[in-house]
Amino acid sequence: MRGDRGAAPPIETHDLTKEYGSVLANDALSFAVERGEVFGFLGPNGAGKSTTIRMLLGLIRPTSGTATVLGADVHDEPALIDAKRRVGYLPAHLGFDGEVTGADVLEYHASVKGDGRLPELLELFTPPLDRPIREYSTGNERMLGLIQAFMHDPDLVIMDEPTSGLDPLKQEEFNEFVRDERDRGTTVFFSSHVLSEVRRICDRVGIIREGRLVELESVETLLSQGGKRVRVVTADDAYAQLASLDGVVDVRRLSDGVQFIYTGEYNALLAALVEHDVREIDVSEPPLEDVFIHYYGEHEPAYADETDGTDA
Amino acid sequence: MLETARYEVARRVRGTAFLSVGISLYAAFIVWYFTVLEGVAVEEVFEELPPAMMEAFGIETLSTIEGFLGAQIYNFVWLLGLGLYFAYAAGGLVANDVESGRMELLLSFPIARSRLLVEKFASLLVPIVVVNAVAGGVIYLLAASIGERLDATHLVLTHVLSVPYFLVCAAIGLTFSVAVDRAAVAERGAVGVVFVLFLVESVVSGAGDYDWIRYVSPTHYYEPTPLLIDGTHDPIDAGILLVAFLGLVLLSQVLFDRRDI
Repeated sequence: MRGDRGAAPPIETHDLTKEYGSVLANDALSFAVERGEVFGFLGPNGAGKSTTIRMLLGLIRPTSGTATVLGADVHDEPALIDAKRRVGYLPAHLGFDGEVTGADVLEYHASVKGDGRLPELLELFTPPLDRPIREYSTGNERMLGLIQAFMHDPDLVIMDEPTSGLDPLKQEEFNEFVRDERDRGTTVFFSSHVLSEVRRICDRVGIIREGRLVELESVETLLSQGGKRVRVVTADDAYAQLASLDGVVDVRRLSDGVQFIYTGEYNALLAALVEHDVREIDVSEPPLEDVFIHYYGEHEPAYADETDGTDA
Repeated sequence: MLETARYEVARRVRGTAFLSVGISLYAAFIVWYFTVLEGVAVEEVFEELPPAMMEAFGIETLSTIEGFLGAQIYNFVWLLGLGLYFAYAAGGLVANDVESGRMELLLSFPIARSRLLVEKFASLLVPIVVVNAVAGGVIYLLAASIGERLDATHLVLTHVLSVPYFLVCAAIGLTFSVAVDRAAVAERGAVGVVFVLFLVESVVSGAGDYDWIRYVSPTHYYEPTPLLIDGTHDPIDAGILLVAFLGLVLLSQVLFDRRDI
């Protein structure tokens, strides 16, 4: 089944727009997810990530623009239903019925979608299937969610904030699982506001902010364009001069020096540093969080707080 | 085919069993009470009541087992109790899943929205049919046990013709369920509407220029007491209920199809 429908990318959007009254939840989004890649859809809470996912699945109608999922137009219900046979979905809130058991849920999902990979998945993920779901921990519920998303061997899996609620160990297992899935040829599209996890497993990243796509890059490009993180310890006060250099963003004064993200020419930086008494210098890959700031602007670090904000 | 209906039916089995047992126990109590009242001039007690009240309670004759069951069981439990119950249950069909977020997953299935809606609604047929069958059988046997013979045809008619009535009550619930986001609002709205229609019908019937209002109430088209007593009914009534039911389901389909989840 994989590889049919010609060269159509698993997900493609054209000026995809959703308006809620005067609020633009998605503003003319255009991007494509390539076959067999892990695509991270990044943005702070309320940026419009869930809105995009819901339009892709036909849960809500675009105000204008369109999108195709496995070649099916989201406006065309019969075509989209057909495509959904090969799509797995892991929503942010699973909302399973509390009184039924995990086995009941999987049986229902199997009857609708198929369960070709169920035995294999049940070796990886082990929720207590014969217990009612109201007794499940968050982790168990997420595991059940992952099983149902992959059980019918989909070509494309869409996940909305998949790692929220997983402890770090489970997160690492999840990352490994997603990489293996990609290696089997599955295309993965997932949204997140946690940048470190995206950096670990994504091939490409689309950054969305206030409904607009701000950047669409491979993770490497994102990091290289994001410049370097420079930490300088000087005997004299170099803050003012360094902060005024071209290409310096996100300047922070440290107790013994200054730290910033540098995206400009190295020579200019070195020329500026020569004028100071440099005790220590450290140039490193910036964390993606800081790269993000580069796109988002340094005055709105809204991404940082996982508990903050509401989703559109 | 019918995967969703099967899953939903499985979830209704327990509730249906409890409902059938509960109603059977109530029927047993009423039948016993009838034996206690025998010889007492019950009807004189009610003669003082205004006609609208008699109409609301479905009182025709309380000295026969048919008239007594009609007033005490069918008019209260079937017309009002179960009518409200099915409106309530249908009110939660879609709104509950939307509120819990479960609808997102259901709509990611390769199933058309219209089919999902029909299959969910179809699961209500189980309690509708089972409660009627169990209670009908139990009531027949209970009456026989006290030496009263109910006319089987009339009893079957009373139960069969309640189905279109329940379908309309449930369809009112379904319409609320797809139109409203919060389950509690949909459920209460549906119950409120069915109850108000019941009241309106009892109040305006037989009185003045406004008695046409009763035609909007589904309770006008299903009258269990005369059915039980002598099988009196107008076949067109069931037809009207079925048309209303189909209309409401169609309206729900359109609303559900167009709505953002």
